[in-house]
Amino acid sequence: MLIASHLTRTFGNRVAVEDLSFSLEPGQIFALLGPNGAGKTTTLRMLAGLIAPTSGSIRVNGEEMSKDTAPRLRSRIGFLTEAPGLWDRLTVRRNLSTYARLYGLPQPERTVDEALEMFGVRDRANDQAAQLSKGLKQRVALARTLLHKPDIVLLDEPTAGLDPESARDVRELVLRLRDERRAVLMSTHNLDEVERVADRVAVMRSRLVALDTPAALRSRLFGSRLIVVLRQPADAFVVAVSGPGISDIRAQGSTLSIDVDDAATRAPEIVRQLVAKGADVQSVMPDQPTLEQVYLRLVEEKKSA
Amino acid sequence: MTRVTALIGKELADLRQNPAVFVPAVITGFFAVLLPFFVAVIVPYMTGEHLSDSSDFQIAIEMYRNQPATRALDPEGAIQAWIFQQFVLLLVLTPVAGSMSVAAYTVIGEKQARTLEPLLATPITTLELLGAKVLASLLPAIGLATLCFALYIAGIVLFAHPGVAWALMTPRPLSIVFLLGPLSSLAALQLAVCVSSRVNDARSAQQIGALIILPIAGLLVAQLTGNVLLTGPTILLIALVLAGVNIALLRIGVALFDRESILTRWK
Repeated sequence: MLIASHLTRTFGNRVAVEDLSFSLEPGQIFALLGPNGAGKTTTLRMLAGLIAPTSGSIRVNGEEMSKDTAPRLRSRIGFLTEAPGLWDRLTVRRNLSTYARLYGLPQPERTVDEALEMFGVRDRANDQAAQLSKGLKQRVALARTLLHKPDIVLLDEPTAGLDPESARDVRELVLRLRDERRAVLMSTHNLDEVERVADRVAVMRSRLVALDTPAALRSRLFGSRLIVVLRQPADAFVVAVSGPGISDIRAQGSTLSIDVDDAATRAPEIVRQLVAKGADVQSVMPDQPTLEQVYLRLVEEKKSA
Repeated sequence: MTRVTALIGKELADLRQNPAVFVPAVITGFFAVLLPFFVAVIVPYMTGEHLSDSSDFQIAIEMYRNQPATRALDPEGAIQAWIFQQFVLLLVLTPVAGSMSVAAYTVIGEKQARTLEPLLATPITTLELLGAKVLASLLPAIGLATLCFALYIAGIVLFAHPGVAWALMTPRPLSIVFLLGPLSSLAALQLAVCVSSRVNDARSAQQIGALIILPIAGLLVAQLTGNVLLTGPTILLIALVLAGVNIALLRIGVALFDRESILTRWK
C-alpha cells in the first residue's frame, strides 16, 4: 500500500532522515519510535507528500510520489499533524465542511454530519474551535483527517498532551482503523500506547535502528526467559534443571530465572524436573521486558555505535 | 474550482468573525471620502471665499467648459467637479491600503496558528491556495471601494453644486474606481501574499506589500500638479500594465511559494 525506499532527507548539512526503508500494509498499525529530532516528523511529512525526499522514493498504491502526483496522492492519505491546526475562529462544523470541500467530497454536509456523530462532537458542532478542550480539538482534528476515508492514515503523536481518557479514545479509534483495513503509521513517544496497538515497530535515530514486531524485538534483544517461583530457596535447584534449549540458570531468593529458546515448550519440562527434585513450584511465567526497556536498549546501542 | 471556493468561503467566514481587521480600511476610506469635501466644500464655506475667485483653478474651468458632462456647470461647480475627479484616485488607495493587513497575514498567519500544515496536506495546489487567498482579500476590498464611491457620490449630491455628481458619472472616474481600483488592489494583494509566504512575520509582509501605494500616490500627486492627465487612453494603458503586473505576480507567487521552507524553516 505504501512503500518507502531508501528515504534520505537533508536540511543543509544536517541529515534528518537517512536511508529509511519500510512498507505499510492494509490493516496494519505501524509505530515510529525515536527520540526528539530523530526525524519522525520529517518522515511523516515526506510520506504525506508535503516535502520531497532528497533521495529515495515513496510509492502509494504502486504510484510514485512526485511533485506532479503529490496533490492527487494526498487525497488518499490522511495526515494528523502534531498540532490539531483548527481554525480557531470558525465553528467545528465550518472547519470540517471546508476540508470536506477541499477534498472534493460529493456530499460534504452529510459527510460532516456523519463525522460529527462518529467522533462524538455533534453537540459542539456550532461552537468555535477555540472554545474546545485540547482533547476535543484532537478529536475534531482526527475527524478532519479521516473525512475523506483515506486508505493510509499518518498520525504525528496523536495522544501527546491528552488526558488518559482522551488518549484511550484515540487508541480505540486507531484500533478501529485497523479493523477497517486501513494502514496506520503513527509516530509517538508513548511506549505503552505502542505496546497496546502496534503490529510493527520501527525505532529510528535518523537511520532505522530496528524494525519488527514488538515481540520479535523483545526476543531479539533480551532473549526469552522463564521466571519460576518456588516455595523454598531456589539455590539448591539450579543444578536440577538442564536440557537442550535451556541455559543461564540464575537463582535469587526463591526465584529461578532461566534462559530458554522457547518459553512455551520448555516450561512443562522445567516444572517436571523441579518437581522430580522435590521443589514446590508456586508459579511459572515468561520474563517479558517492557517495550520501554527494548526501546532504551536500542537507542543506547545506536548511540554507543 | 471547488477547492478555491471552499477556501474563499473559509477566509470570508474567518474575516466575518474578526471584523477588526477592516478598521484600517474603514479609516482610510473615511479620510479618502472626506478629504475632497474638505477642499471643495468645507474650506470655501468656512472662509467665505469662492473657489472660482482663485486663479489656481482657472485651468479647471477651461478644461471642463469643453466637456459635455460639465459644460452646463457654473464656474464654482466646474472647479468642484475638477477637484472631486482628481481625488477619485484616492479612492483607489482605500482598498489597497486597507486590505493589505488581511492579505499580508494570510499565509504567515496560518503558519503561526499552525493551521497551514493540515491545509497543505490536502490536494490543494499552490495556485489554488494563493488564488483563493488573494480573491478572499480582494472581494471585501472591492466591496469597500464600491461603498466608498457610493458615499462619495451621495455626499456630492448632497453638498456640492447641482450637476457635479453627474460630471463624475462619466467613463473616466468610473474606470478609475472600477478598473484601476480592482487591478491595483489585486497587484497589491498578490505582492502582499507573495511576501507573506517568504517572510517570518506579518509586519514585514505588510510593509513590503504597501510599496504598491507609492506609484498610486505618485500618480495622484502628478495629477494634482497637472503633470499627468488621466485621459481615457492613459487609464487604459495603466490598466494593461497592471494586468501584466498581475499575471507576472501570480507566476512569481506560485514560484516563490516554497512549501518545504514554510513547513520546515519557519518557527
